[in-house]
Amino acid sequence: MTALPTPLRISAVVLLLALAGFPFYWMFVTSLTPSSDLFASTPNFLPKWGEAGVYREAFEKIPVATWLLNSLIVAGGTTFLSLAIALFPAYALSRFKFTGKGVIGLSLFATQMLPEAMLVVPLYALFGQLKILNTLTALILANTAFTVPVVVWILKGAIDGVPEEIEEAARIDGCSQAGLVWCIVLPLIAPTLAAAAVIAFFHGWNEYVFAQTLVSSESLRTASVGLAGFVGELSTPIHTVMSIAMIYTVPAIIFYLFVQKYVVSGMTAGGVKG
Amino acid sequence: MKLFPRRSTLAAIALAAAGLLPSGAPIALAQGKTTITFAGVTFTEAGRGDRLRSWVDKYNKSQDKIEVQTIGLPFATFANTMFTQMGGGGGPDIIRFDTIDFYAAVPAGRVLPFDDYIKDSDYKFSAPNDYLKVNGKRYGVAFEISNYVMMYNPALLKDGKVPATFDELLAIAKSASGGGNFGYAYRATMAERNGFWQDLCNFVFGFGGRWGDGTNLTLNSPKVIEGVAAYKRMYDSGAIPRGADAATYRRMFWEGKVAIEIDNGGVAGIFNQQAPNLQFLAAPSPFPTRAQGLILAPLTVNANTKNKDAAFAFVKWALQPENQKDLQDILGASSVATVVPRSADDLAKKPWLKIYDDQTPNAVPQLVAGFEVRTPELQQIIIEQVLKVLQGGMDPKKAMDEAQELAVAKMKK
Repeated sequence: MTALPTPLRISAVVLLLALAGFPFYWMFVTSLTPSSDLFASTPNFLPKWGEAGVYREAFEKIPVATWLLNSLIVAGGTTFLSLAIALFPAYALSRFKFTGKGVIGLSLFATQMLPEAMLVVPLYALFGQLKILNTLTALILANTAFTVPVVVWILKGAIDGVPEEIEEAARIDGCSQAGLVWCIVLPLIAPTLAAAAVIAFFHGWNEYVFAQTLVSSESLRTASVGLAGFVGELSTPIHTVMSIAMIYTVPAIIFYLFVQKYVVSGMTAGGVKG
Repeated sequence: MKLFPRRSTLAAIALAAAGLLPSGAPIALAQGKTTITFAGVTFTEAGRGDRLRSWVDKYNKSQDKIEVQTIGLPFATFANTMFTQMGGGGGPDIIRFDTIDFYAAVPAGRVLPFDDYIKDSDYKFSAPNDYLKVNGKRYGVAFEISNYVMMYNPALLKDGKVPATFDELLAIAKSASGGGNFGYAYRATMAERNGFWQDLCNFVFGFGGRWGDGTNLTLNSPKVIEGVAAYKRMYDSGAIPRGADAATYRRMFWEGKVAIEIDNGGVAGIFNQQAPNLQFLAAPSPFPTRAQGLILAPLTVNANTKNKDAAFAFVKWALQPENQKDLQDILGASSVATVVPRSADDLAKKPWLKIYDDQTPNAVPQLVAGFEVRTPELQQIIIEQVLKVLQGGMDPKKAMDEAQELAVAKMKK
């Protein structure tokens, strides 16, 4: 295959960057646009730095830091719990033969066919009985229930790619079954684990329906709900919404950058066989 | 291969563990106080939200047994969240509903009757409070009553001419449009179903139409069709910012980009508080009749509450004359449950107040007369048919004939 000429490649990269980055840039510019200019017939394409105080105000007047911490706890908890719970069923589905294996695997996916809005009422009643309503625990559990099936199947695919001979060798050396999963399989599927972590983290980070319904205390509000709260019946402070939306994206971007290299290798792992 | 540095792993585990621990008691009992919750959209409103929370705090400071915690939720998802929580056996103790959601909550047994706690004879209730009685029982008192009139920005009207008829409104709105400005704004999308319904009711009522006569549905009566046709004429005029949601076009009005709106007194109050330099005025809506919709937001008590006495104690406090006056001041050009006269000073400073208050005898709740509790179902049918007129170009008469047929069939079920 012939490589594209350098100027063309650079142009393509610049174009892609512009397409991907412009929405964020526009959000940033809007956050720094005074209300009086928001509806000007000629849009303002450059940030007005004099308006940067809106970011300070977001932290001083609005509990954005608390919202972000709550989101971080929910997303982090969902990620940790999803990976911890999914690993062993994924291993079992990949390595063991047992009656109903196919049905169990598919039924995991069946849970994904129901929308959150349908499950929120029974979950609310159930969590009410368990006395965990209005806690972040409820959100972590609800989100985990949604992410585990996906994570199980992702990890199963990765475990399928680990040669059984390696495990047999370890078993001969006296490794226990749990030790095999923990010491042998886990490091080998680490890139896929990272990819699954990204999926679970972003689900927990962005989730809205459960966060809105299962938690009512304002001190436990997640950022997705806090942000939506600005869209009022009578008015919406657009530059405040945009500034908080910008702040909201930062932790998610940092998390992604942190695991991105593992995700990339995870996506390509197993691409070449032989 | 190390996936994460050891410290980060530990931090992640600690973070997750922190989340797994109950992070707050569902209903905190601080210092032996009964804590109850009060949810409403208005607590999130810029300009009014903080003042309403202070109003509730005034109650909290006056008490040593009960504490009311406010919960502000977004308008768009408020009713869904409330009904989900109530359906799951929970929800806030006190809820500020919109009328249409109130009429869905009552037949479903989601809110408590007031009669054991609130006696009509003890208060000077204004007339619209009667709409909060279903089958003779009171299920709420008005938290906010808000009329609709025409608000306009005189600086954007050519020669300062204020429309007195619908044709004039259309012509003036067109002439005020252009260069990034719009002459008029209203809602016309399913995404803002309740708001769309409110705006549509103003047109239909203004043209003399009603959705029901108390016994029968009248969705295809000539006056209703006239109102729908007028809605379409405005839609096609090029004078409205199509697709802009209410929060956006109200902001545009505030910024001098929209000349005329027919809007409720809560909006006027927000403009007055948040944009003191905006010189807007009000006039009766320019339709053949003075009838316009009415925002009637009731204060209700959740049937799931475990603190019935505390909830009603707060409602009784809210109905005290001094607290009603404070609430009315916060709500702008809206009224409250009991009759609270405006001060001469207020009327002089805010000339639009009188226009809003004078509208009261002509205010009609945005309900289907005779089918109040089934208004949400009928609203869905009507809105869908009107959208066919606006966006699909269907003839208004044909659309409303269909609406009538569908609605009659639905009501038989």
